[in-house]
Amino acid sequence: MLENPILNDIATLAKPALFNIYFALASIPVGFPLAVLLAVGKCQRSRWLRWPSSAFVYAFRGSPLFIQFFMVYSVMLSFNLSHWKPMGIDWLVMHPLFIGPVVLVANTSAYAAEIFYGALRAVPKGQIEAAQALGMSRWRVFRSVSWPQALRLAWPAYTNELVFLFHATTLVYFTLPVINEQKDLMNKAGELFERDYNAVLHYSVAALYFLVISIVIFRFAAWYHTRLNRHLAPAERPPAPSFKPRYLR
Amino acid sequence: MKKQLLKIMIPALSMAVAGAASAQTVRLASEGAYAPFNYMDDSGTLAGFEIDLGNALCERAELDCEWVQNEWDSMIPNLVAGNYDGILAGMTITEERLQTIDFSDEYFPPDPSKFVVLKGTPLDTSALSGLKIGVQGGTIQAAYAEETYGADNDILSFETGDQAIADLAAGNVDVVLADGGFVDPVIEGSQGAIVLAGDEVLIGGGMGVGMRKDDDALEAAFNAALASMKADGSLDALIQEYFNRGPFYAD
Amino acid sequence: MLESFLTFLGQYLPDSLMASLHYLTSGKHLAWYASLRYTLGAALLGAALAVLFGLAGAAMKSARFAPLRAIGHIYTTMVRGVPDVLFFLFFPLAFEQAVEYFFAQRLCSADELAAAGSWPPCQAAQWYLGTTEYFILACVSLGLVYGAFAANVIHGAMQSVPAGQIEAARAYGFSDRQVFWRFRVRQMWVYALPGLSNVWMLLLKATSLLSLLQIADIVQWAERLGAPNYLARVGPVHPDWRWKYYMALFVFYILLTMLSEWFFRKLQARAGRGILSQS
Repeated sequence: MLENPILNDIATLAKPALFNIYFALASIPVGFPLAVLLAVGKCQRSRWLRWPSSAFVYAFRGSPLFIQFFMVYSVMLSFNLSHWKPMGIDWLVMHPLFIGPVVLVANTSAYAAEIFYGALRAVPKGQIEAAQALGMSRWRVFRSVSWPQALRLAWPAYTNELVFLFHATTLVYFTLPVINEQKDLMNKAGELFERDYNAVLHYSVAALYFLVISIVIFRFAAWYHTRLNRHLAPAERPPAPSFKPRYLR
Repeated sequence: MKKQLLKIMIPALSMAVAGAASAQTVRLASEGAYAPFNYMDDSGTLAGFEIDLGNALCERAELDCEWVQNEWDSMIPNLVAGNYDGILAGMTITEERLQTIDFSDEYFPPDPSKFVVLKGTPLDTSALSGLKIGVQGGTIQAAYAEETYGADNDILSFETGDQAIADLAAGNVDVVLADGGFVDPVIEGSQGAIVLAGDEVLIGGGMGVGMRKDDDALEAAFNAALASMKADGSLDALIQEYFNRGPFYAD
Repeated sequence: MLESFLTFLGQYLPDSLMASLHYLTSGKHLAWYASLRYTLGAALLGAALAVLFGLAGAAMKSARFAPLRAIGHIYTTMVRGVPDVLFFLFFPLAFEQAVEYFFAQRLCSADELAAAGSWPPCQAAQWYLGTTEYFILACVSLGLVYGAFAANVIHGAMQSVPAGQIEAARAYGFSDRQVFWRFRVRQMWVYALPGLSNVWMLLLKATSLLSLLQIADIVQWAERLGAPNYLARVGPVHPDWRWKYYMALFVFYILLTMLSEWFFRKLQARAGRGILSQS
């Protein structure tokens, strides 16, 4: 073991940090397309499409993630003997490494859908009408006109959501059973704290991990933001997502 | 403004600190999720074997006691941090725990741990492999399962014993390892759905009241009260009432 | 009183309904309903503190004195890098240890301080944290975390107050302090309200974390009530019912959100009266 307590903690918490990163990385690729679908659903005129998407978004934005975890786990558990076992998928669907991302996907897609919904509505109506007048199909209009612009508008706020999602991974192991040594940053920091009661050291190192990874997310998002807006002259580009606080979840 | 606030805060805090140090009230902590040792009864207050026992001990030691409910996993840290003075929460006296805290003499004899499974699940406890074993995190059973079966099985740690049993009943873990005193009523109350499996294992010693290392006066008081409860048979009577076992401490 | 009311109802209602009513009014359930006071109390007290910290943070962010401005910036960026849960757990622990350290320096003997075997060094410096203390600390941490969000909102809102008004105020000879309180703070609320309502929603949801600080809140009681019970002396024997209780909490929080949205809509309409940019 290393002599320096800070370096020692950094080494000990490296593996737990991977679990937080895993939960975020497993949720984003599913959460993003689902959010787009939900946002498009919310924009529809048909009540059968609009109502379910709106209700989903409202429910998962309007309730605490902490309770969503408890609820989904206990509901999934109550279906275990009747459904998952007979189907032979219980080993997968009841695993925290699966349920964790499922809940995070539901949560983040609701928040992101609201962001994309706002952005889609902010695309100038005249452009969409012009595209329709050119004879473009609805899919074509979405694909080439509304969505590219909505994504550019929504990107800074979506970046923010990604960081919140990463922070939200802390709640997984407060609510789900821990299997073997599969522990995340908060879990491990708490365990270290219970050994020597040095709250300042262990929680600060855990905070450092969150801080560094958050900055990496912002950096990446800012780089992609520049890419998205490379057709504009630098002066005309909208402000890139930055670590400076500007958006709320 | 800040200075004024400090002027008010400091005396208030020193009173709080001094009050905690000199008060006669002894705070006892329990989990409230480990029936029949300790649980929340239907009126929503802490009850159970250890609550009755703690109250009897305080009465004999002429101490004013009050109960604090605390989650199991922060039980020892919060004792050391001074949020309460004694733990009665089905805590087994172990070498590892003795490094951080002290225990009174035992108030419950060494209790063999038992494996429970859903009915119709055969189990060879001498060679478990590829199974999901449920335990309550931070218990002697958790440490034992990790050491003995950790290499070939998945050990699922739950916050409470009740959660482990809930996951067993729902088939999400194959087997739960827990104190016999805790699983016996589960087996009885499940009407055959949850059954005993394999051999029982004796992991730790008896259970004792956990106290801070420097709290020698309280330790002496509790030990004296325990000795008198053992001598006059009232401890055996309590164990009999809650567990239908014993007598253990009769001469 | 409850008992007699139930007996009265029993004359008119079917037995099955009465059984559920009796179940839902057991002492344990009443304790669950009563624990709502922690959730709502923490939300209200936390929000009040968040506005205070928010004002302080915003004032610091626009301070002329550079170090103060730096503190304001660090405070408001804190929430960007560190999860609220971490801060929520860390702050009460660190605060307790800091207070104990303060008293240990004064109350413990030199030998005890040097020994440093356990924390705190001597019993006299021990600070007892009960539910009340934890509750207050929880409210302060909620206030600190969401105060940082509020500071951003308030800072932005202050910038939205038309510059002409501020210039006019200065021209009339109002002092800096007067300009700040009577113009910026007075006027910014209408611009800050949408953002502050957002902060309130976040804070409301964060109150579900109280159980992490050993407070028997609605989440903890839901867990206790729903956990399977096999022992008649403990209470009604039932299998795992946690999903029912968590679903109830899920719906309850959604209803709270709806109520808050309605309230803020009304407030916004009221605050926006007579303001041109609102239309």
